[in-house]
Amino acid sequence: MPDSKPLVFVVDDDQDVRTSLSRALDQRGMQVETFPAAEAFLAAYDGERPACVVLDYGMPGMNGLELLEVLNQRQLPLGVVFITGHGGVPESVQAMKGGAVDFLEKPFRQPVLIERIQAALDLADSRYGSFVTHRDLKARFDRLTAREEEIVSHVVANPAEVSSKEIGNALGISPRTVDHHRARILEKLQVKSLVELIDLVTRLRFADGSRRL
Amino acid sequence: MRNSLGALLAIGLAGLQFVAVLAVVFSSYVTSERALLNHARDLLSDVGTNTIEHSRGFLGPARGAAELSARLAEDRVIASDVPELLEQLLFQQLLLAPQFAGVYHGGEDGEFVYVMRSEGPAPFRTKIIRVEDGVRTTELIWRDDDFNVVERRMDPLDTYDPRSRPWYIRARAELTTIWTDPYIFFSSQQPGITLASPVMDGPDAVRGIVGVDIEISEISEFLARLRIGSTGRALIIHENGDVIAHPNRSLLKTQDADGTLRFVDIAQFEDPIAREAFSDLVANGVIPVEHEMLSQFSFRNETYVSVVMPPISDNLPWTIAAYALESDFTEVIKQNRRNNFWIAALVAAITGLCGLALANYIYKPVRAFAVRSALISQGELDPSEPLPKTYQELENANRTLMQQIAARRETEIEYGRTFGLSSHGMAQIEAATGRFLRVNDKICEITGYSEDELTRMALADLVHPDEPLFLLSDGHGEDAPRAFNHEMRCLRRDGATVWTLVNAILIFNQEGKPIHYVLTMDDITPAKQTEDQIAELSKDLSNLSRDNTMGQVAAGLAHELNQPLTAIAQNADSALYSVDQIAGDHDGLRQTLEEIAEQSMRAGEIIKALRSFIRRDEGIRTDFDLGELVEQTKRLVIAEARAAGATIEADLADLPPVHANRIQIAQVLVNLLRNAVEAVADCESCDRRVLVRAERQGDQVLVAVEDTGPGVDPGISLFTEFETTKPTGMGLGLSICQSIVHANGGRLWHEPAEPQGARFCFTVAVGPA
Repeated sequence: MPDSKPLVFVVDDDQDVRTSLSRALDQRGMQVETFPAAEAFLAAYDGERPACVVLDYGMPGMNGLELLEVLNQRQLPLGVVFITGHGGVPESVQAMKGGAVDFLEKPFRQPVLIERIQAALDLADSRYGSFVTHRDLKARFDRLTAREEEIVSHVVANPAEVSSKEIGNALGISPRTVDHHRARILEKLQVKSLVELIDLVTRLRFADGSRRL
Repeated sequence: MRNSLGALLAIGLAGLQFVAVLAVVFSSYVTSERALLNHARDLLSDVGTNTIEHSRGFLGPARGAAELSARLAEDRVIASDVPELLEQLLFQQLLLAPQFAGVYHGGEDGEFVYVMRSEGPAPFRTKIIRVEDGVRTTELIWRDDDFNVVERRMDPLDTYDPRSRPWYIRARAELTTIWTDPYIFFSSQQPGITLASPVMDGPDAVRGIVGVDIEISEISEFLARLRIGSTGRALIIHENGDVIAHPNRSLLKTQDADGTLRFVDIAQFEDPIAREAFSDLVANGVIPVEHEMLSQFSFRNETYVSVVMPPISDNLPWTIAAYALESDFTEVIKQNRRNNFWIAALVAAITGLCGLALANYIYKPVRAFAVRSALISQGELDPSEPLPKTYQELENANRTLMQQIAARRETEIEYGRTFGLSSHGMAQIEAATGRFLRVNDKICEITGYSEDELTRMALADLVHPDEPLFLLSDGHGEDAPRAFNHEMRCLRRDGATVWTLVNAILIFNQEGKPIHYVLTMDDITPAKQTEDQIAELSKDLSNLSRDNTMGQVAAGLAHELNQPLTAIAQNADSALYSVDQIAGDHDGLRQTLEEIAEQSMRAGEIIKALRSFIRRDEGIRTDFDLGELVEQTKRLVIAEARAAGATIEADLADLPPVHANRIQIAQVLVNLLRNAVEAVADCESCDRRVLVRAERQGDQVLVAVEDTGPGVDPGISLFTEFETTKPTGMGLGLSICQSIVHANGGRLWHEPAEPQGARFCFTVAVGPA
């Protein structure tokens, strides 16, 4: 972790709430960033640091639950603590299902919040590793050309047909070309063999839920 | 009332015939009476005329004989002064005329020759008075028919002098033939008259007078022989009133005190009928009459007719009169007339009966035709049945009638079919009583009664007891409504209540008299139930709306208050944290800050309690048909839409049942529809359309309410409480809708519609299959 200060985001449409929370967390040695709307937060955070989000449930525009969905999709390294003035059982259930650490009804006492934020930060830390790995793997894969991706897909889909000749026949190219591509793939993905390659792809898929590959 | 053909025929054929026969009888009765009287008079007149003729015939020859004798004497054919020759002449004259009683000649010198009929000793007797040289002798000679002398003797006692006799004196004075008045002959004591004619000796000198005695008893005998009815009689009255001839000769003579025989005057005559008839006429100088005179009189309760003839001649001033019992002439005819009357009556009766029979015969086909027409009109006979034997005219009428009936029946059948097959309940109802006259199957189905039962009932029997008193009519045609249109409850036969829409029109005949109502009845119970459901929904919605508004106010307040409370609590806690970092005893400050934080928490609790107090249970979720709910909510806002000139269309695909709180979803729909209607209401250029669409999307149904209004200003925060663009709104509508949809597990959002307008969408969960 490049910075020792834990990072906390406060997303609430009420200025006074933002101010008071910002002050309290800052006091306790946390780095605090505040946003008045979910959209602004999404635009600002890129997942480079694990963090906690203190999220107001009822906001104009995208509300807390909707934001939570987006965050989950992106697998960002975040722990979420909901705070709400509307406090309803259905909402809290949905929030918890969506992976929130807790659902606090306003008003609430600070020690309870701090405790939840700590839990959320721990969760975010645990998510951060996989997030980074996933991000790196994705970055490696992103360096493949279209033809190389095609070959990887074929190999992963048909682990029994891994000779250059077989791959060449299946894709309508010469084995020599396949050999050339294979060497580039192993280099770009930083693996030593096709077995390692298959393992890597499987991991990535698992983590990603997988749109590609 | 119209005349019956049968009655007319009976009157015409029987009655008129009867009257005609009676008229003939009556007229013959009257005319026969007159003819009868005329006949009686003619008969009497004939009697008179006959008598006159007879008298003339009787007396005429006497005159001839007398005058002949006078001329013979005058012309000296016979020497009148020779008695024997004269006797012979006179004898011959007497022989010639049997009515002569005697013929004689008296001379100026007193000589007299007289030949007369005698009783004996011989049929004739002659008396001769001779005067010779102043000495007179009288000789009587009886002779037979042949003029032979039977006896001869002298009569010395005779003093008779012809010149002193009236007939001699008158004839000599008048110098012409004269008739004496009738008188009773001295010798024969028979009534008679004397005719005397002078024998001239130069222009003014008279030599003698020839006389003839004529007995007129013969005329009485003639009269006795005449038959004038049963009791009728003729008689002859002299101008001085004496009755000189009568069928009963014995009545003619009477004897004076001195023994002289004379005629009886009519006033004393022993024939009372004749006396009654004629004595007054004589006394009053009516007799002699100039012309035949007929008259009538009563005697002893009997009616008589009489006739009086003019005198026979100037020389014979005799009036012939006759009388007769009228009944002698009329009785037979009267009897005959009575017989005729009865015969006529019998004939009238028989012909009358025949007339009736004929009338019946003529009328029978007409009656049969009438009966047949009546049967056909009641539908008990088929018009195609052959017509019984009848008349050409009736057959023509029948043909026309049959065409009419066929046309009417066709109309009837069409009407009946329309009536019978109508999808509406239909009935004909008697205007005066409200009774069912005719009903169709559908109305039976609606009311649950059979056709038979209904036709024994009145409309009022069907009406539900809770309905205001409803009568078609109170029996007075004037007040009957001409048409009406009611929604009312009826009691079915099984006691169930049905809502019906009843429509009735009063039908009038050509005279403007009400005949019946034609009524249609529709079962509107389902529609009524739908209406009730909608009303119920509306009520629920207004309750819900109130609750929701309060809840939303509370929720809004809670949210708004919770923010500052949160800030307060955090700031207090931050202050506490800061105090903890500072060394020293700050218990008082700590306590204060702690209380601030706790009080803000307490305020939060109060708000929470308020919210949970107002927010009732979130509603019971059920499975329901969203399409039906859309239709019902559409109807709740349809009035507002009409007022705004907007139309609401629904495009509902085949939807599965959804699982949610029905009332709450209805609230959302109503809110969105109202907003849409209001959005298009103020828009002049829009075509003011609101469209509701619903379609399944996975395990949700997406409902979109779209309008063609101006759309939503992007600067407006739609779902925030207390924020509104409406001058009277609280700004809670959409936020409440959103809360509701969330509470039911769905989402609500807005997006602009193309080409303009707003679209609000929300989702509802599909119910478990």
